[in-house]
Amino acid sequence: MKKYTRFEKARIIGARALQISMGAPSLIKIPKDVIFPIDIAMLEFNEDAIPITVKNS
Amino acid sequence: MAKKTTASKKDKKTAEKKKIKKPVIKEEKPKKTPVKKTKEPKTISKTTDAKKTKKIKKETAKKPVKKETKKEEKAKKIKRKKTKKEEKPVEITIVPKPKTVEEPKGHKELREEILKILKDEYLPLSIIDDIILIVIKEKGLKKKLKEIIKKSLESYKKTLIDPSEACGIVGAQSIGEPGTQMTMRTFHYAGVAEINVTLGLPRLIEIVDARSIPSTPMMNIYLRDEYCLNPDLAKEVANQIEITLLNDISDISADLTNLVIFIDPDKKSIEKKGIDMEDLLDAVKKIRKTDAKIEKNRVKISLDDPSYKKLLEVTETLKGLKVKGIDGIKRIIIRKEPDEGYVIYSEGSNLEKVLEIVGVDPYRTTTNDIQSVGRVLGIEAARNMIIQEAYNTLSEQGLNVDRRHIMIVADVMTSGGTIKAIGRHGVSKEKESVLSRAAFEITVAHLLQAARRGEVDHLGGVAENIIVGQPVNLGTGAVELVMKRTSGKKKKK
Repeated sequence: MKKYTRFEKARIIGARALQISMGAPSLIKIPKDVIFPIDIAMLEFNEDAIPITVKNS
Repeated sequence: MAKKTTASKKDKKTAEKKKIKKPVIKEEKPKKTPVKKTKEPKTISKTTDAKKTKKIKKETAKKPVKKETKKEEKAKKIKRKKTKKEEKPVEITIVPKPKTVEEPKGHKELREEILKILKDEYLPLSIIDDIILIVIKEKGLKKKLKEIIKKSLESYKKTLIDPSEACGIVGAQSIGEPGTQMTMRTFHYAGVAEINVTLGLPRLIEIVDARSIPSTPMMNIYLRDEYCLNPDLAKEVANQIEITLLNDISDISADLTNLVIFIDPDKKSIEKKGIDMEDLLDAVKKIRKTDAKIEKNRVKISLDDPSYKKLLEVTETLKGLKVKGIDGIKRIIIRKEPDEGYVIYSEGSNLEKVLEIVGVDPYRTTTNDIQSVGRVLGIEAARNMIIQEAYNTLSEQGLNVDRRHIMIVADVMTSGGTIKAIGRHGVSKEKESVLSRAAFEITVAHLLQAARRGEVDHLGGVAENIIVGQPVNLGTGAVELVMKRTSGKKKKK
């Protein structure tokens, strides 16, 4: 997995959490007690499952 | 200030790395001197600290003793005076000899070894230098070299900051907050070696404003080789530096009946300063429309076209006539420092001229006049001087600000090749963006001028974007998200 800076990580997780909060299905298996969108997004991020990267300018 | 730095974050970082390297290279070559250099400020501040508390009590007791020794030194020096003149032409050829001390063999080998261990990893040169110095000092450490480098790599990486970090703002805050405490504690401080120096907040403002002349210019003049060991030689150098006015060493009397002026030099002080009658005559002859002659023990000055008014005029100019020394250096104090030998402290500063004096060590002599450092030694030296001066004024007050915050300030001030003040007249004035300039000071004038010229604002900085209501190009705001290609996703899983 590419190493992200803390700003990039924040943006990626944030964007994904927004999708999840609006009803997007999760991309990995998630324990039942995790229901907070940001937590889900973080789990996905750690699994490298989020289909979002950073544009290199 | 912060805005500018953040805009070109990556360049800044690399630039800083380069800059970090530079002083290191300097440290490499004239090995002996710079090592001392780092120690100097410490010893000075230590002595001052210690003296502030202790000296107050002891001062009365100590001072008379010092003066006596000085008088003795002066007496000795007089005898030396004549021999000095013969040395002079010989010495001049030696002065510019550059101290290109090559790196010792052991250091070189160790450096290669370290680079081998590092492979593709990066450590700043200055850190490698420090490691080399310490490992060479303590023999047992060589076996643990790998571990040392591993650890230092680790902590080096910890201190790295992410790209698009707002380092300028962090720096500004880190200097600003301790600055508020400074205001309350002190305003003017007196007394490094009986010379008054502006310290504390006024001094910090002075540095940041890039004043052309500091309110209390001062120099620490270090001496070379035998000059710093021999008190007589040190005295001689000091005499060449300290300004001597005609009025200080002689009586000037105007003979109104014959319309001539007599200069009666005071024998004692003339000998003390190492001046002879010829020198006096030469100095006096510079005044136009007069004629000077030596008459016994005095100099007689007659006017080309005598008049009462002219006579008084000439007398006045004579009083302020420089006989010996360097312009701007008002007072001199010679002190024996524990590890340094004799060091000259001067009130007033004139780096250009002082560096020309035989016996002065040009590598270590410093002044607090940053503009003149920039003029004489170049912009890099000025940058280092800003860092050192700002750091010293802060730490002298017991405020520990990280050097790197001050480095950013110094970088912003000097990156243009000249020393620019922080504020309306310097850095802010040269900002590219109209809105950013208008946001700082004199808003209306900037907007008006920009409208007249039809300026374009590219909204690159922080202030512009905030005014417009956009996310700032910093930190999280600088990140742009895109969809990941599906092919990459499978591989990584």
